[in-house]
Amino acid sequence: MQAIEIKQLNKSYRAIKAIENISFSVAEGELFGLVGPDGAGKSTIFNILATLLKPDAGEVSVLGLDLIKDYLKIRRKIGYLPGIFSLYPDLTVEENLRFFAVMYKSSIKENMKLIRPLWDQLSAFKKRPAGKLSGGMKQKLALCCALIHKPELLFLDEPTTGVDPVSRKEFWDILNSIQTQNITVLVSTPYMDEASRCNRIALIQNGGIIKIETPQQIVLDFEGELFSMETSEIFHLLAIMEKCRLNCNYYPYGNHLHIAFYGNKAELLTEFIQFLDEQHIIYKNLEAINPSIEDCFIELINKKAHA
Amino acid sequence: MRIILMLIKKEFLQVFRSPLLLSILIVAPMVQFLLFPFTADYEVKVLHIAFIDNDHSSVSRSIIQKFTSSQYFINHGNPASKAEAEYMMLRDEIDFIIEFPKDLEKNLMSQQKSSIAIMANAINSVKAGIGTSYIQNMLSEFLQRESEYKDLSENTLSQLFTTNIYWYNEKMNYKNLIVPGILVILVTLIGAYVTALNIVREKEIGTIEQINVTPIRKWQFLLGKMIPFWILGMSEFLMGIGLMYLVFDITVQGSLPILLGITSIYLLVMLGLGFFISSVAENQLQAMFIVFFLFILFVLLSGLFTPTEGMPHWAAYINYFNPMSFYMDVIKMMVLKGSTIHDLRIQVISLSCMAIILNSAALFFYKENSR
Repeated sequence: MQAIEIKQLNKSYRAIKAIENISFSVAEGELFGLVGPDGAGKSTIFNILATLLKPDAGEVSVLGLDLIKDYLKIRRKIGYLPGIFSLYPDLTVEENLRFFAVMYKSSIKENMKLIRPLWDQLSAFKKRPAGKLSGGMKQKLALCCALIHKPELLFLDEPTTGVDPVSRKEFWDILNSIQTQNITVLVSTPYMDEASRCNRIALIQNGGIIKIETPQQIVLDFEGELFSMETSEIFHLLAIMEKCRLNCNYYPYGNHLHIAFYGNKAELLTEFIQFLDEQHIIYKNLEAINPSIEDCFIELINKKAHA
Repeated sequence: MRIILMLIKKEFLQVFRSPLLLSILIVAPMVQFLLFPFTADYEVKVLHIAFIDNDHSSVSRSIIQKFTSSQYFINHGNPASKAEAEYMMLRDEIDFIIEFPKDLEKNLMSQQKSSIAIMANAINSVKAGIGTSYIQNMLSEFLQRESEYKDLSENTLSQLFTTNIYWYNEKMNYKNLIVPGILVILVTLIGAYVTALNIVREKEIGTIEQINVTPIRKWQFLLGKMIPFWILGMSEFLMGIGLMYLVFDITVQGSLPILLGITSIYLLVMLGLGFFISSVAENQLQAMFIVFFLFILFVLLSGLFTPTEGMPHWAAYINYFNPMSFYMDVIKMMVLKGSTIHDLRIQVISLSCMAIILNSAALFFYKENSR
């Protein structure tokens, strides 16, 4: 049985189509990532799967249960961490956890084993109001509350947005350890670098899925030859790149410029260097690099735009 | 059961941790009881008057003398002209101008008709109305005594004197009417305002979503809100009864248990209204406006400030849908008059129906799934 099966899912808010003909399935025990920019439709998918939102059309089964008919059964078996922090800010860490344990007819003791790695870090702030925790700690507490009834399936909507890099890494370590407890995890993130920690990812844009693959395969599927370079005139260069009639994609990547060539790599590179010299662009560290998930995402979007 | 107890516990933890809400709950009734009854006072204690005496006779002078010696009136002298007197009124120095015509004494002596003008500053309509009748009373009393003195043959025994006795509020003490009204306002505010704002806040900060993904049912959620706010409302009411006794020495004439029983029904109506509003409103601002609008409507129609008996028929029909009006009746009749449940059966039945309808509607409209 698949933990989640979605076929031709559609949802609009009045005239705006939030998601359109989305289909994918998540296997039991999988750590599946929804990766895409803000507004791609990730939260809508979560709201539908967490039984908060009714889909307009499409077939959805969660843990083999019907989304509409069996929503109460589904609620008992899933844990959901919404995109915005939504625990009671005026209740303490411990009170929040106890509250949600009771709501699920469970108890903190019963599932201590599952939340132990999180609780060890949180217990120092037991008596602190949840609203006064740091961003990373808030998310850890929210995860604790979502896990307190030992769900079979966990939904995490952008759990690391607004969390510092160290806490983000910790958070993903925890997610990997949760996965080993036989809990299926569906997680969304706008950070492409986090996507590589998933078993499989679905790249989403404008309410549709562009590609579903393992992160490794997505990188292998990169079609172009990727180069990176540094220049102080990056915006000037971007403005004049149109004149360079080579078969390539170019975009700023942090303080670098990434160029993906399509065709004969050696020839294109020589022509490009020639172009840079003609335009009197000063640059350094022009080198071939391995594509990241983000590079792959950009390539796929470009391909879709030109198709 | 454990779930509902936990929900109640959570609600109380939040109330006692919110210094603002807690102080509103405790300070608001104090302020209302200690301030409002003394300011919302229709009693007229002092009237400022001036005289325009065109007659300069012994009659006009003795009338002025009579007013001056009364403790209700303060004489601001005799302005030379009407214009000057009007200017005094414009500056709000005086409330009334009494003008004596030129041949007042002469006309009186010759049994001819004569008229005295009373001009009132009607900005304060209550003062103007009550003051005018005071003045008329004093004038007619004076003229009567004058005629008795002048003409003893007239049969004075045939004169009919009217005196008023105000039942259930003998001294016509306005506080006795206002104070029970404040009790009503207190209970209404706790019921509708606090409940609606509380639930809408959960919507705003997103906690309701986290609650909605748990398997608890909506009746459990609503009960978990209703019980704590019901307890808060009843404590407020008891606090109000206590203050009413301590500050104004007003005790409940009817049976206190029955009053508490009806109050709890009324609270259920208001809680249901609060729930209903919270299911319609998307944020606290919207909820505030809706509650505020209904609250003003309820108060004005309830008979706290103007008696319902004086309202036109259509207003009386609107009042069939005004829970506050029924409850205001109950409070006034039980506190001041000592009515029994039998006397109030219509109010009790109406309130019970409203409680059932509003709470069912709230349960129906509350969405476990959004949109």
